This record gives sequence, structure tokens and C-alpha cells, in this order.
Amino acid sequence: MSIKLAPWIRKPNDAGDGAMTEQTVGVAPREKGAVNLSSSTSTDIGLEPVFELRDFSAYYGSFRAVRQISFSVERNQITAIIGPSGCGKSTLLRSFNRMNDLVPSARVSGEVLYHGVNLYDPGVDPVEVRRRIGMVFQKPNPFPKSIHDNVAFGPRVAGYKGDMKALVEESLRRAALWDEVRDKLNTPGTSLSGGQQQRLCIARAIAVEPDVILMDEPCSALDPIATLRIEELMRELRENYTIVIVTHNMQQAARVSDTTAFLTMGDDRAGYLVEMAPTEQLFTRPANPLTEEYITGRFG
Amino acid sequence: MSHREEPMTPDPAKGTGPAETGQPTPVGPAGAGTAGSRPNGDNPAAVPGDAPATGPRPRATLDSEVRTIKDDVLRLGALVEVALERAGRALTDRDADLADRVRWDDAEVNDLQRRVSNAIAVTLATQQPMARDLRELLALYHAAAELERMGDYAVNIAKLAQQLASEPEIPMFSQIPLMERLCRSQLHAAMRALVDVSEADARAVCANDDELDRLYDAVYRSAMEVMQADPSRVPQATHLLFVAHHLERLGDRVTNIGEDVVYLATGQIEDLN
Repeated sequence: MSIKLAPWIRKPNDAGDGAMTEQTVGVAPREKGAVNLSSSTSTDIGLEPVFELRDFSAYYGSFRAVRQISFSVERNQITAIIGPSGCGKSTLLRSFNRMNDLVPSARVSGEVLYHGVNLYDPGVDPVEVRRRIGMVFQKPNPFPKSIHDNVAFGPRVAGYKGDMKALVEESLRRAALWDEVRDKLNTPGTSLSGGQQQRLCIARAIAVEPDVILMDEPCSALDPIATLRIEELMRELRENYTIVIVTHNMQQAARVSDTTAFLTMGDDRAGYLVEMAPTEQLFTRPANPLTEEYITGRFG
Repeated sequence: MSHREEPMTPDPAKGTGPAETGQPTPVGPAGAGTAGSRPNGDNPAAVPGDAPATGPRPRATLDSEVRTIKDDVLRLGALVEVALERAGRALTDRDADLADRVRWDDAEVNDLQRRVSNAIAVTLATQQPMARDLRELLALYHAAAELERMGDYAVNIAKLAQQLASEPEIPMFSQIPLMERLCRSQLHAAMRALVDVSEADARAVCANDDELDRLYDAVYRSAMEVMQADPSRVPQATHLLFVAHHLERLGDRVTNIGEDVVYLATGQIEDLN
């Protein structure tokens, strides 16, 4: 299985780079020695983890928010990150697409390998990283634009020259929103219900054909039915994407994810990985007593 | 992994041995729930968090519901123990009235089992327990179902006792009272292992079942001998063989509770019989 890439994304170093296949795309070659985000020679990455964290720590100034985390995220799986408030779940998630770069004092150590390439290597273009590793936030945040334009925005910026109407429809279908909005594509995205807005944000994220979707508490602002819809949608999206979700809702993690990572905070207030296991195992017979306490609600 | 906040001390007043009288002798009456409650219930700082350890204790409602359910399951065990003792006594004493009482009293076992099942369903639906809590409720649900079935075996034995009381008496096979006592002590030990969430004790209970099987085989051989020697005794010998068979089956159900305890303690589902 190969990484699926948007056909309109410009391939770097097209000429003369024999190692590049049609399906591989690297960062924009704006610097010498730019790093190719895809493993250039591998056409079968089915067994490779999408992400591999190696001794990863994240800091805000002198404060270490997450400490020496090592784990893998498997392809076409939903990986949930759970843990108490302030344990660094969101920081960790935002490290997967360099969103923390936007925080001035933020820095990291260790590696976040994405298909074998360290996302924090100097040659990696964070914009390309964020195109391939999309994000959905806690609060639905559609642009103050029409439903159509919300979805079309990303591809347009990326220079998409194909059939935009078809792309918007396909993205909305994948986000299980098409049937509800097909007759009002020109109405503002903000006119939709909370659950629909969140699915619009998911449609917007997948319109640029990412490889991974990061979700930071995607349902915490939604009612229970809208929440269950998003969860079912995640199960469908899992066929084509790799999903990492941060959630406070343990039942949600249990319902939706394949693998769960439990983080907690050490005495230094830095978050660290306590246990990562198949979800069915972690929620029925966790190996670590700290996990047991947290998921049975005896924490705090 | 210990789940005890405080050790469960045997209470001689309540009796921890197999029921020798007609009175229920719960393994962990009333206070058993306390012994079975959560680890770290008073140690919320075990995981460092940013929230101060104030306010209502997390999961107090779940704990209280599980405690009630566990107490009911232990009561169920005590009722079955009594039923078994009475059925055995009705058999050896040819006491049809006592056997009748066992049959009537089984309704209480059935009612209690239904109450337990319902309470567990409600707790699962409303409290969404996880991990050990979930395993505990599943184990209790299954244990209650097994106890209900054991109650039925006691009733079957009581019916056979009535049947035998109406037939010409033949000498009792000596292994049958042994089997009945062993069944009760096994049941008692299994309930004790459940109270203590003791994997080791549960495994010991399962291992002891071999003795019951051995006694059953002995009854079988004795019954065959009697029947061959004196065809007029075939009905009684057959009925006694049925009694032994029910006791053997009951012993298997006890080992199932032992397996439940192992599952509760370890999360592993094992076949120990």
C-alpha cells in the first residue's frame, strides 16, 4: 500500500530524481538538501508505522511539557491519547504536525519520525507537514465562508486545478455531510449545527488529501448524537487515513480507537507515557496500576 | 495485586466453615463489601495530577453499588450452601419434609439471582465501569448464574431424597456424604476466594475438584456392583448415582466460580477444570 497523495501537489526535484515515484512527494525544494517526506524508495509501507516517536520531549521555554516519549502510530488505525488534564496530550498531538512551532518558546528534543523522516529535521517544510497531517480542533472552526468555499479553500491555496465541484462533493461525502448540505452549498458554514460544522471541518481537512488526521477533543463541544456520528465517521475514515485523537472522554477512546496511549504527569509536571496497548486490552486489563486507577476513575 | 484495604478477619460468630446448621453462614456478610472495595480509595494522590485531592471521592457511587451486588452474591452463596446441606441431610435422614423445604426455598435463590442480574445490568449501563470494575461485575454476574444453577442441583438432590425415602432403604454409599461435604467446603472456599479476590485460593479450589471426580467414580462403581448383585435395588442405586452425578456437576460449577475469580484477579480467561 502506498501513501495516497493529491495529484495536484507539485513533485519536488522532478527532473533527475530517479528515486522518486509518482506517488512520492517531498517538501517544496526551497532549501538545499530538502527532506523528502515519503520514504523515497518504498512503495509498500503497509507494515511501517506512520509515526515513530523516539525519546521525544517538548518544552515551552524551560518547562518540559512532555518527557521522553517513545511509541509508534500504525497506519490506518485510530490511536487515542488519554490522560488527565495538563499531562501534555495536546502538546504531544500538536507535535505530530509541528503546530507547536507557532508557539514562540516551544522546542523539542528527540525525534518524530513520519514514514521514517524526522519531522523536525531542518529541511522539512512545516507547511507541507501540515498539509499531509491535518488537524481538527475541539471547537468547530469553519471559515466565515460558504460551505463550498470552506472545503475548496485548502485545495485552492495548494493550486488545485482539477474539478473543484467534484472534489468538494467527494470531501463532503467522505465526511458524511453531503446529503445534509448538497442543496445549500452556498450558505455560510457557520449556519450549520455544531456536529455538522465539525464534519465540515473534517471535510475541509480531507479536501487536501492528507495522510493523517489529528483530532484534538473533536467532540467535546458536541451533543451525544453528534458525537456518535463523528465517532462512526472516524471508523469510516480509518479505511483511508491514519487518525490520532486526543480525548478526555475515556468511553469515546474505548469506543473508537484501536490503540490507546495513557499519559500522566510526573513529579516534574512533565507528561510521560505510562502504557500503550490495544484498546480492548487497555480498558479491560491494563498492565500498569496507574492506568488502572485512571480508567476506573480512582484517579485524583 | 492486592485489592484489600484491610484484611478480612474471619468472624467466628458468623462462621466461616461449611454450614453445619440450617442457618445461612455468609462468607462475608455485610462487612464483606468493605473488604472488597477499591484499592487506593483513600489514596487519590497515587497518580500525581494537577487537580487537588478535594471534593467527592471519585466512583463512590460505583463502589457502593458493587459492594451491594457483591454482598448479594455472597448471600446467594450462603443460601446455596444451606440448601445443599439440607438436601444432603434429607437424603441421609430420609427426611421428606426437609427435602420439601429445600424445594420451596429455592425460590429465594432464584429471586436473589434475578435481582443481582438486574442490579449488574443497571450498574453497567449507568456507571460504565472499566478494567477491574468491569471484570468484577462480569465475574459476579457469572458467579450468580452458577450459584442459581447449583441451587437447582440441590433441589434435584432433594427430589431424589424424597424419592428414595419412599423406596425400600438400601445402605448409603459412603462416598455420597463425603461428596456433599466436599461440595460445600469447595463452594465455601470459592466464595472466600471471591471475597478476597485471591487467585491462589481460586486455583486451589479448581485443583480440589479432582477429589470430587474420584469420589463420583467410586459411587459409580459401587452402584454398578449393587445393581448387578441385586436387581431389586436398581431403582435406589440409580437414584443414588443421580445424586452423586448432581454433586459432581455442582462441583464443576464451583470451579467455574474459581475461574471467575482468576479472571477478576488477572484479566485472563482460563479453563481450570
